[in-house]
Amino acid sequence: MGHLSAEYVSVAFAGLKALSSVTLRIQSGHISGLIGPNGAGKTTLVNVLTGFQIPTEGTVILNGQPLGRLKPHEVRRRGIARTFQSGRLFRDLPVIDNLEVTGVGLGMSRRTAVAEAEAMLDWIGISALSSRIAGTLPYTDERRVAIGRALMGRPAYILLDEPAAGMSAAEATELSNLVRRIARDLGCGVLIIEHNVGLVLGLCDHIVVLDSGAVIEEGVPADIRKSEKVRHAYMGTAAETSLPAEEVML
Amino acid sequence: MTDTSISPFPVELTNPKKPARFALARRTIITPIFLSLLILAVATLAIMTGSRPFNQAMIDILVRVTLVVGLYIFIGNSGVLSFGHIGFTCLGAYAAAWLTINPLMKKTSLPGLPNFILQARLPYWEAAPIAAIFAGVIALILGRILMRLSGIAASIATFAVLAMINTIYSNWESVTGATSSVVGIPIVRNIWPYVGAAIIAIFIAWGHAISRSGLALRAARDEPTAAAASGVDIPKERLVAFTISGIVMGLGGAAMAHSIGVVTPDNFYLGLTFITLSMLVVGGMSSLSGAVLGVLLLSALIQGLRWLEAGVVLGETTFALPKGLQEIALGGLMIVILALRPAGLIGNREITFARFKGKA
Repeated sequence: MGHLSAEYVSVAFAGLKALSSVTLRIQSGHISGLIGPNGAGKTTLVNVLTGFQIPTEGTVILNGQPLGRLKPHEVRRRGIARTFQSGRLFRDLPVIDNLEVTGVGLGMSRRTAVAEAEAMLDWIGISALSSRIAGTLPYTDERRVAIGRALMGRPAYILLDEPAAGMSAAEATELSNLVRRIARDLGCGVLIIEHNVGLVLGLCDHIVVLDSGAVIEEGVPADIRKSEKVRHAYMGTAAETSLPAEEVML
Repeated sequence: MTDTSISPFPVELTNPKKPARFALARRTIITPIFLSLLILAVATLAIMTGSRPFNQAMIDILVRVTLVVGLYIFIGNSGVLSFGHIGFTCLGAYAAAWLTINPLMKKTSLPGLPNFILQARLPYWEAAPIAAIFAGVIALILGRILMRLSGIAASIATFAVLAMINTIYSNWESVTGATSSVVGIPIVRNIWPYVGAAIIAIFIAWGHAISRSGLALRAARDEPTAAAASGVDIPKERLVAFTISGIVMGLGGAAMAHSIGVVTPDNFYLGLTFITLSMLVVGGMSSLSGAVLGVLLLSALIQGLRWLEAGVVLGETTFALPKGLQEIALGGLMIVILALRPAGLIGNREITFARFKGKA
């Protein structure tokens, strides 16, 4: 069973520590959650894991081997995929071409890529969007297309950066089901960054809580829910986000 | 909790059925065919008119189609504005001159050329492909460095390439004749070779646009970060387009050399850069159809204004517009189009008769 991990990773921007000695492990077929208030360093950690940010200290280990200083496209070719908070679809291209880009980026012919892309749209359940221009899609569809694009070529790991932001409860439930299928059916190791703490608690096998660039707590959802530190981090810095008293059933 | 025992891989994702071979090519080939027919129509018009100046004007248009399509291959797909491509046209034009001028003339005017070039006297149809490949090789070498840059830095660096090539060609007396004209290039007055060059350029551009590299590059143009996260090696895909467009610009240079018979470095500098870029911008920077239509429209406008500047006789009086109006009108039109339709007249679409499906 494979692992992707960040080991003792620190990142400093002009002297300001965005991450200090953070360790996080993602396991094939498991869903890990990364939560924390705004500015905690969650996206920075995803950037480190995907080659967009070179850590000041520490390493990223893929299946026992350090990744070294690979460029983002090289990291993707090793099977580590990601999505972005803002979607970042190729807005002028049709949905099918958005998925095809990953296919050709990974070395497929266009013929193979289009076949794989169609199969992926079908698996996610958005075949109907195939020929729509990506820039015209509503928000929630955009998110699902971005996940489809990241899943092309069957990555071993997928890192989802706030995939449920702005979604209604029903849409978030649908998204949770998709994420479960990604882990269970594709055997993918999933890391999900989410502000919707209820969703993370209901979905993840393991949760890491970041605050001000450091891990303040980690464990199974039940531990996180009980943690005073987590409650304090959330109440102290972002009053509008509070931990749900009981698990939100998804 | 997720089950740790992974269920069998979903059937629908294993070995999906591929589309028929060349399905994409068949679906999109209408665009280059339509554009080629347009080019043929222009040529037929020139032949039917039978007027020599008109024939020359049509040849100039076809050369510009080749050049602007060459620009489109890089600029249109990568979104990186290049001011340096006319440098490759310069390389192609001089290479065609070196290979086709009578050796006796070369010995006196360009004595610094290597012996095998001094003695060569190739027909234009053999010299032009060699000139194009020469320009492409130089584009490949320079591109390896340039393509690591992005945005405005890349554009300025391409401008530096133009200045560099111009400086070298304006000073290397024994090889390029420096700023004096290189004469004796066989002039080709027949319009068909120029039609051929323009159509070849159009098909090369189409082939690149529907290729893996073309798709990846357009994705990188729209969202470089997401393209990199999708496994796209952006500098590599840019280099591919840069080299191919260098080849087409070199071909256009050879065509230009044979259409006027004389080359000087200043033929291939700011003036030509400005006019070809305007044509691309007016037509639609990220569309092959836009590149071709931009040339045809602006050329028609320029010709019309030239004609009016020369004076039109109506009965007893001659109406003439003031000299220089041509340049002013062209500049004005560009500003208006950039203000009203920043993506150009065609935008980023292609002319097709089938269901519109984005770009290739």
